[in-house]
Amino acid sequence: MPNLGVGVGLRTTHYAHILEQEPEVAWFEVLSDNYMHTRGRPLEILDRIAERYPIAMHGVSLNIGSTDPLDLAYVRELKALRDRIGARWVSDHLCFTGVAGRNTHDLLPLPLTEETLRHVAVRARVVADVLEAPLVLENPSTYLEFAGNALREWEFIAALAEEANLGLLLDVNNVVVSAKNHGFEPETYLAALPMERVVQIHVAGHTDHGTHAIDTHIGPVPDAVWRLYGKARELGADASVLLEWDAEIPPFDVVHADALRAERLVELGAAAGF
Amino acid sequence: MTAHAPALSLATLEDWLVAVNTEPGELADALERAARRCGVNATAADDLERVVTRGPRLSALERLSIYRDGYVARLVECLADDYPALACALGELEFGRLARDYIAAHPSRSPSLDAHGAALPAYLDTRSEAWARCASDLARLEWALVEVVHAETKPPLTADAVAGLDPGDFARARLTASPALRVLGFAHPVNRFYQAFCEDSAGELPGPESSAVAVHRAGLSVYRLELEPTMRLLLSLLTGGETLGDALATLERELSPAELTHVQTHLAEWFGAWIAAGFFTALELP
Repeated sequence: MPNLGVGVGLRTTHYAHILEQEPEVAWFEVLSDNYMHTRGRPLEILDRIAERYPIAMHGVSLNIGSTDPLDLAYVRELKALRDRIGARWVSDHLCFTGVAGRNTHDLLPLPLTEETLRHVAVRARVVADVLEAPLVLENPSTYLEFAGNALREWEFIAALAEEANLGLLLDVNNVVVSAKNHGFEPETYLAALPMERVVQIHVAGHTDHGTHAIDTHIGPVPDAVWRLYGKARELGADASVLLEWDAEIPPFDVVHADALRAERLVELGAAAGF
Repeated sequence: MTAHAPALSLATLEDWLVAVNTEPGELADALERAARRCGVNATAADDLERVVTRGPRLSALERLSIYRDGYVARLVECLADDYPALACALGELEFGRLARDYIAAHPSRSPSLDAHGAALPAYLDTRSEAWARCASDLARLEWALVEVVHAETKPPLTADAVAGLDPGDFARARLTASPALRVLGFAHPVNRFYQAFCEDSAGELPGPESSAVAVHRAGLSVYRLELEPTMRLLLSLLTGGETLGDALATLERELSPAELTHVQTHLAEWFGAWIAAGFFTALELP
């Protein structure tokens, strides 16, 4: 999948600025679910933005790990939206959001077992068949681990990516958050991932409560996340970069300027050897 | 990773975690109900850590609470986004209480958060608080605003197309309403309250006074047009699919002579304004 450069997550508060000012941005990531259950204004705005900018789709409701039947109607709607706006790829999260028809609208952690691995791999392959393209999955932020886990998350993701031919969306902020919450070294996590499968990198901010960290997407991106981003680049992740900023969102130019730090880090990193 | 961890299936663990997150009441109550529902006996601290591990600094219970608190907060925030004037009118505490009761009564079953607030107006009709009737009216107005944002729009019927209608065909003509139009009647002046909210000058919820409004989207903008009672009746008949002739005949039956004279005086003006606003998308002759 193409490296689109440094992009920004499209947020409603920036619609007017983007439509009126047409800022120079390499690409936008759109939240798929915001445009799938509407025939109205959000879709009309997205159509206009997609005419001008490359787009990638990022969702939160695929429910890939659930033991409920895979919602094929949802997957077909994803495909229809992708085809409508010419999105370069479709991503979601390694998680489950609900079961037995109940939806928490949260990215709930999966038990990291062989059973889960087989279950998710089968479903990811079905999704890829419907999409006629590899599914891209993101490592989530998690706040608990199951006592029955047989694998660490990085082992699980590496095995799943191979088994289901996944593209990976590496969220380095989520690695920092989960590392704090579970007590592992972020570098250990990155070192185990197949970087050649990383098609996109997320950078974002989080809120550190001392005892734990929450993935709030509040900006600007902290140095610890940028450092891990640099490490990912060093390990060979040559992928599109996207800044997520969802809390206390400032004017568009502020968000974009923070995202562009990724480019400067690449230049600095290249000089430093990665 | 722990030798004594029970071998719980993926399905069981998922059912349990969702139940712990979504069962109403306190976390301890939710754990009891989740245990009964899923057969996961994890209600005391020791039992719980056989299912969810203790973290470096948080207990298993504290780690579960992060998800459980997030579930409620996320849905309350979503409702406040859909019903900002109602949230402002009730205040954070009262709105939060209402939202949590609603979430308990209407847990989300859709992949989309957009649909979750749809039943709030009807839910308010079941509440006994003094403010509930007005709150229900205000919620219906705010949900109509949500609906028209997400409704498809089609090219509007033009004034030229109406002007081209043969006068002899006028009575049997039927108009097609825009999918992005809602005509609403209320027992409280909630559009006036909503306008005050938009201007940052809303006070307490108003007392009873009938009112009506047309909510409509054209392009990217959403409009609210206050309707007087006879306007509302005529517009409701037309958007309900009656022919122009049948709608006018209904008015003749339903209205007093003075009201009918009022309609006849303003009919062309109203009709012209509705066409200009894009309330209708087609005109057909059966």
